[in-house]
Amino acid sequence: MKAQIKVLVFLATAIQLLFTTPMCLAEVDGSCTMCHKYPGLGRIEKAEGEQAKKTKRLFYINNKLFESTYHGKIRCKSCHTGVEKIPHTNAPAVDCATNCHIVDPSTNRSFSHKKIVDDYNNSVHGEAGSRIKDKSDLPVCKDCHNNKTYHDTVGKQTDSIHKVTVCKECHESEEFVQRFYEHIMYRTSKRRPSKDVVKLCSTCHADQELMKKAGLDAVVGFTYTFHAKAIKFGNEEVANCLNCHAPYDLGFSPHRITSRQEEHSPVSIENKIMTCRQSGCHVEAIDEFSLGSRVHPSPEKIRFLMSGEEPVPEENQVIKDPTFQTKVVGWIQLFYKVLITVVVGGLGLHRLLDMYASRRERRIRGH
Amino acid sequence: MNDTVNNKSQFIRLTRSQRIQHIILMISTTLLIITGFMLQADRWFISVLGNASEAVFWWRGFIHRVAGVVVTVICVYHLIYVVVSKEGRSWFLDMLPRVKDIVDAWQNIMYMLGFRKERPQMDRFFYLEKLEYWSVYFGMFVVIVTGTMMWTEYLWPKFYIDVAGAFHLGEATLAALAIIVGHIFSVHYNPHVYPMNRAFIDGMISEDLMKEEHRLWYEREMNKKENQQNGVDDNAK
Repeated sequence: MKAQIKVLVFLATAIQLLFTTPMCLAEVDGSCTMCHKYPGLGRIEKAEGEQAKKTKRLFYINNKLFESTYHGKIRCKSCHTGVEKIPHTNAPAVDCATNCHIVDPSTNRSFSHKKIVDDYNNSVHGEAGSRIKDKSDLPVCKDCHNNKTYHDTVGKQTDSIHKVTVCKECHESEEFVQRFYEHIMYRTSKRRPSKDVVKLCSTCHADQELMKKAGLDAVVGFTYTFHAKAIKFGNEEVANCLNCHAPYDLGFSPHRITSRQEEHSPVSIENKIMTCRQSGCHVEAIDEFSLGSRVHPSPEKIRFLMSGEEPVPEENQVIKDPTFQTKVVGWIQLFYKVLITVVVGGLGLHRLLDMYASRRERRIRGH
Repeated sequence: MNDTVNNKSQFIRLTRSQRIQHIILMISTTLLIITGFMLQADRWFISVLGNASEAVFWWRGFIHRVAGVVVTVICVYHLIYVVVSKEGRSWFLDMLPRVKDIVDAWQNIMYMLGFRKERPQMDRFFYLEKLEYWSVYFGMFVVIVTGTMMWTEYLWPKFYIDVAGAFHLGEATLAALAIIVGHIFSVHYNPHVYPMNRAFIDGMISEDLMKEEHRLWYEREMNKKENQQNGVDDNAK
């Protein structure tokens, strides 16, 4: 009996293979899940260059999960262009500016992230907008959009069914209504907690080596500001990086972020005050509020300035600082360091002496 | 101090008003130090708080501001107190620094090192007490001014706020450490009063301790008492 089952299983597998293998070998016809549905599908890649680190790449796609994401309506090959045969050699990397088959109802044209990609290219982080020499250091879409591969949020935000009943009066497809509603909900709500924004920007901007290469100072001073301290406690009211460098409320966008030296930057000397006065922030700030020193002068920088050393050679420096004001803060810190050492050290020494004296007193009394 | 009590072995060190002022100052300063230094807290502290961290942050700010107002009020009250009231004036005059304080400090250090046989005789307040008292004037001036500036941040250029912040943190660190090393040690770990100088609660100082630590004050008080008694006797005649 057991042997019979074994034979049956073998036969079933063989028949399955017989039918599927030729299809796999044929041109990829759009049925990607035929192979990619297998959880173990992946390979170990050896990266080129000095750090020959082996990385595991998994090519498994959970179709059910994928369909519930924002990109779930898009066919694989809309983004993975050039995948024509097996193995998928010479397929270019996914380009977020590709047109996909989804029709944008606002324009009736096929949807694409091209506008954002173009904006980004002209921004200070983009190849066209950046002034740094080595453009390969610049961040790309996925460096910031490093969210989980799947945003399994469809169905999570329509907690109350009543919210979408009004939509359903006209729109017949429940799936469409849910997807659309949640898309709007997701895009209009705050996407990342401030903590994560700071963490994300810091991956590059707090990297001393990388910033030095780009002719910038690493941002270490922010962590010493009140804003950063509040954010550390989970406060969402104070400004994180983007609230000043790309405030949506004032018509800026993280994709169009610019150097503070650009006239139209929200943190340029002229525009800074408007940024500080955003609703919910320092609304009544006086004109001089934003003048002068940097918002986050770094103690690192103060240390460099005090020691007379420049963190970045003058000619490579992209941003010039009002060094005097930065120094003043450093002098105050130095003043207190000395004062604390003298006063507290003196008091401690006095106390020790006193203990020494009273031990002597006791000894004399004891005799 | 003019009001000695009938019990011969006890003298009044701190009056009721002074004790209340001290308690208010003590509680509000402690709150200010705790809520203030929470801002310098490390990540682990915040992770301990977990989901409550945002609420803790709000309360931290609220308590810091309320305690700041209380401290300001008590400081202003004290300034009025030392001018207007009789005991306040006597306190203030006895607190004024004198040349004797420098001599006392020198002689006391020499004694502690073993180069002198006797401690110098101190008056009502000795040099460290005076130093602590006047440090509070200096420190409070700095933290109240800079704290008010940071509270009304929109009225100042950002640079002023940076300067204020540096002063506020520096002064707070100095004050906190000075209180721990200087004040708490001298009123708790002083072998004469260990485990605690109770004067801040009952206001009393024993005759023995007074003779030991404030000899000149003791003699002053005794003279005053004698004169008073003589006066009473004279009147009686």
